[in-house]
Amino acid sequence: MRGLLLLSVLLGAVLGKEDFVGHQVLRISAVDEAQVQKVKELEDLEHLKLDFWRGPGRPGSPIDVRVPLPSSQAVKVFLEAHGIGYTVMIEDVQSLLDEEQEQMFTFQAWARSTDTFNYATYHTLEEIYGFLDLLVAEHPQLVSKLQIGNSYEGRPIYVLKFSTGGSKRPAIWIDTGIHSREWVTQASGVWFAKKITQDYGQDSTLTAILDSMDIFLEIVTNPDGFAFTHSKNRMWRKTRSLTPGSACVGVDPNRNWDAGFGLSGASSNPCSETYHGKFANSEVEVKSIVDFVKSHGNIKAFISIHSYSQLLLYPYGYKAEAAPDQQELDQLAKSAVTALASLYGTKFKYGSIIKTIYQASGSTVDWTYSQGIKYSFTFELRDTGRYGFLLPASQIIPTAQETWLALRTIMEHTLNHPY
Amino acid sequence: MPPAASTPPAPRPGAPRPAALLLALALSLAGPGLQAAGPGPGSPGVPGVAGVPPPGLLRQAARAALHFLNFRAGSPSGLRVLAAVLRGRAATMRNPPALCFSVPLVISLGGSSVVGIFHQISSQNHVDARRTCRVDLEFTAERYGPEADGRLGRCSARVVFRRQQPRPAVNVTCARFMETSRRRREDLLLYKRAKRLRAPPGATSMPDSHGWIDPSLRPMWDLAFLGSSYVMWERTTQTLHYYMAQLSSVNQWKTNEDAIDFDYTVLLHEFSTQEIIPCRIHLVWYPGKPLKVKYHCQELHTAQEGSGTEGG
Repeated sequence: MRGLLLLSVLLGAVLGKEDFVGHQVLRISAVDEAQVQKVKELEDLEHLKLDFWRGPGRPGSPIDVRVPLPSSQAVKVFLEAHGIGYTVMIEDVQSLLDEEQEQMFTFQAWARSTDTFNYATYHTLEEIYGFLDLLVAEHPQLVSKLQIGNSYEGRPIYVLKFSTGGSKRPAIWIDTGIHSREWVTQASGVWFAKKITQDYGQDSTLTAILDSMDIFLEIVTNPDGFAFTHSKNRMWRKTRSLTPGSACVGVDPNRNWDAGFGLSGASSNPCSETYHGKFANSEVEVKSIVDFVKSHGNIKAFISIHSYSQLLLYPYGYKAEAAPDQQELDQLAKSAVTALASLYGTKFKYGSIIKTIYQASGSTVDWTYSQGIKYSFTFELRDTGRYGFLLPASQIIPTAQETWLALRTIMEHTLNHPY
Repeated sequence: MPPAASTPPAPRPGAPRPAALLLALALSLAGPGLQAAGPGPGSPGVPGVAGVPPPGLLRQAARAALHFLNFRAGSPSGLRVLAAVLRGRAATMRNPPALCFSVPLVISLGGSSVVGIFHQISSQNHVDARRTCRVDLEFTAERYGPEADGRLGRCSARVVFRRQQPRPAVNVTCARFMETSRRRREDLLLYKRAKRLRAPPGATSMPDSHGWIDPSLRPMWDLAFLGSSYVMWERTTQTLHYYMAQLSSVNQWKTNEDAIDFDYTVLLHEFSTQEIIPCRIHLVWYPGKPLKVKYHCQELHTAQEGSGTEGG
């Protein structure tokens, strides 16, 4: 109650630019009807400018009143003279307001720059979209924001483009958050975006990469699902599309790609978490990427990031046959996880999807690989099941830092092995 | 107390008959440039080939064994999780024993490969769910929780999976990584803290969306995991395995009597189907006594509901 009142006072202060220095809030205890009447007399004295937060009522019911500094003495003398007990609930309203306002701005959703943005906490969709705009505004020469489509529920789907020029340069694609409950991935994506802008011109590897290639980063690949994890169900994985004829919602966007679509390794049951959808690319979130990749035509590495399990995976997911580039991909995966482990000792296993995690059909990197994108990888980030999807926010930055080393390894290899 | 169970020597698997026939058939089709990989006489070698069970199956067995061990030990301070599988073998219970998983036959004719000629062959991790499967294995385990100090204890186990039925039979022994007296002390401390704890109201999620668990509520979390171990043991099969994703509500937390009486709901995450399964669990725990637990899991869209009871 007090908080609500304080908030309205604060708003009043902000809007009406009032000052509450020296104002006190008194809690008056009127023990009988006579005392209640006396306090009501106080109420009528307009020149005192009293502000009753909780007005006089029944005897015994506390009466809370904000007393401006000039009236303070008079009110206290009056109460004491009539034997009416009171306590000082708030010594100085202004200092309390200042403190609250400071707190509000510290934890404020909308940071004023990407330097004050809090990377060590999980954010809402609005906060992340706000971050995108901040980053672009701060680095207009390097970063631009593309809209590649709209989600099922009409939310814009954004991709950040990091480029130092050229035209349709060979590119690297990174996406996070295709499964909305895997919160450490979107959070890492935000960190990667900032990291790229910090390291260009500072880190020789990243600089060399960006001098010849572009990087595309889609941070919230499943915005509807992500919004749903905030509003209704933290464990939501799929999109939020409606399936005619079913009460169940959503398609697994990592089973909806046109590679082994509908084969073993996905479910045809709309209520299942691995429902593949009515047909390949039925999900606009998937189709948008497909269209982008096809029209770009020059993507050389495609990395899709999930959690959890601590794995680095390459095709195939839908069949046991080894990918033609299996040896090179395996070697590169090994280097990448070695780089990752060098930071905090986090151990990742690696291998093809089907051998390392499970059979999965219609998966992202099986499709991208079939399009000729040789360096197609899927990550499964921390942890291995202790917290699972609910990874403590304190682990966001360490996870992003170590994963970045693996990404850098893959990107560098891509740069040095053009095809 | 870890259950004492000696691990009987595992019988050596002989060449499985149906696969041998297939191999013979495949070889009879041999032409120039033909290679075939398939089951041979049980020899250790490259995983996925010639008698070595797929690593997935061994991990499944290790998990089932540890869930069972955690449940039977009944000690929320002594919970263990899998660190790594060391070695193992798997065989069916038939006589003579055969491999209880299918190994793919990949035949390359010239440049192209033909996979899956024979209907029972599929992925390298395919486990033939129709058979009873006995797995003997050795693995390492470490302490569950933030107190994990990296110390590993060795375990050996025999786990029998029955035709995708629940309740794999488990015989497991683990080396102690904590002295019994210390573990008893820690259980007692946990018990005392639990007794003083007032339950948070109704549907409070632990961890919350941001992965936060109030440290003062740890006893509740550890007991929730202990009860979940029973459920996860029962439900683990050759292909299904579980993690405790979240304690989603505390229905009752009674500490006024001797034992802790805890009625709660957890969300279990089944990995291969990626499903989230709410299970209501009711446990009664007193340090040193066997855990009493019953549960009922909601089956969201598949046929079976699942419940179970285990009295001390």
